[in-house]
Amino acid sequence: MHIPDAFLPIGQAIVYWIIALVFFALALRWANRELNEARIPLVAVLAAGIFALQAFNLPIAMGTSGHLVGGALAAIVLGSPYGAVFILTLVLIIQGFIFGDGGITVMGANIINMGVIGGFVGFYSYQGLKAAFGSPYMSAGIAAWLACVIPALAASVELFFAGTFPLVPGLIAMGTYHAVIGVIEGAITAIALYLIATVRPDILAMPAGAVAS
Amino acid sequence: MMETRQLVVAGVALALVIGVTAVFFASGDPDGLESSAFYVQGEKTLTGDAPEEGDPEAIGAGTFAYEAPMPDYTLGEEAGKAGEVMAIIAGIVLSMVGVFAVARVAAAGRA
Repeated sequence: MHIPDAFLPIGQAIVYWIIALVFFALALRWANRELNEARIPLVAVLAAGIFALQAFNLPIAMGTSGHLVGGALAAIVLGSPYGAVFILTLVLIIQGFIFGDGGITVMGANIINMGVIGGFVGFYSYQGLKAAFGSPYMSAGIAAWLACVIPALAASVELFFAGTFPLVPGLIAMGTYHAVIGVIEGAITAIALYLIATVRPDILAMPAGAVAS
Repeated sequence: MMETRQLVVAGVALALVIGVTAVFFASGDPDGLESSAFYVQGEKTLTGDAPEEGDPEAIGAGTFAYEAPMPDYTLGEEAGKAGEVMAIIAGIVLSMVGVFAVARVAAAGRA
């Protein structure tokens, strides 16, 4: 889902950068309030895991592959959508500048899609689903699926405004492929949440058995 | 319950295993955005295979170009799989150290 430089005109890319920087500033404020010496190494390890999982493209048929994005996972584990914005922004900066994965001028759009939209959709849909159905792992899986599909649809709308994708074919293609990729996102998110809740339930800001108020 | 130090070591080890495994087993098919780009260009049907040759970015109109030091998670073709393994390990370490450093700085400003 990493948009390359060629896909957005510079004027629109700057607008996305400005919006992304506002959210990253809010994420830094979250880090200032919520992170402490005990929690920081765990956040760093979560970032390393998300980077590794993003590198693992799995075949999804239709001549396409997909990988975990990690916005929902980060938001649920850290108990805030800003946790996802914090981790995904830094991972996307490394991917873009060091590995050329995702553009530089368009990095703001990628941060908005995967970090901001992915984090907020993942976090709040997890809260809602958990309150409605009770099961934390099923809720996390569905929330992560939504946190994959909705950012993909947002990206297709951005690419329509950029004049790169036609609207309906773009929505159909991005929606179809990411509906399948989202299954990977959901499964890995649920499994990761289960593993963390098993070995260290105390580090979950929003315990798997509870719903944050 | 696992101690924090153990959890960090286990987490890093798991990330390295996933990353190195990805070098050898990750799919080479285009990702969802690239496949969508092929689809809207008419170079691929929705459910068909990706074109053998093709540039998903050909549809873009941007002119900005940036040369990444480890493009596509490699150290160049001559470095082969060993270079890809080193690039992935570098990425995992950079992600961890980068997030750790920024988090420390952010948390240090607490009133």
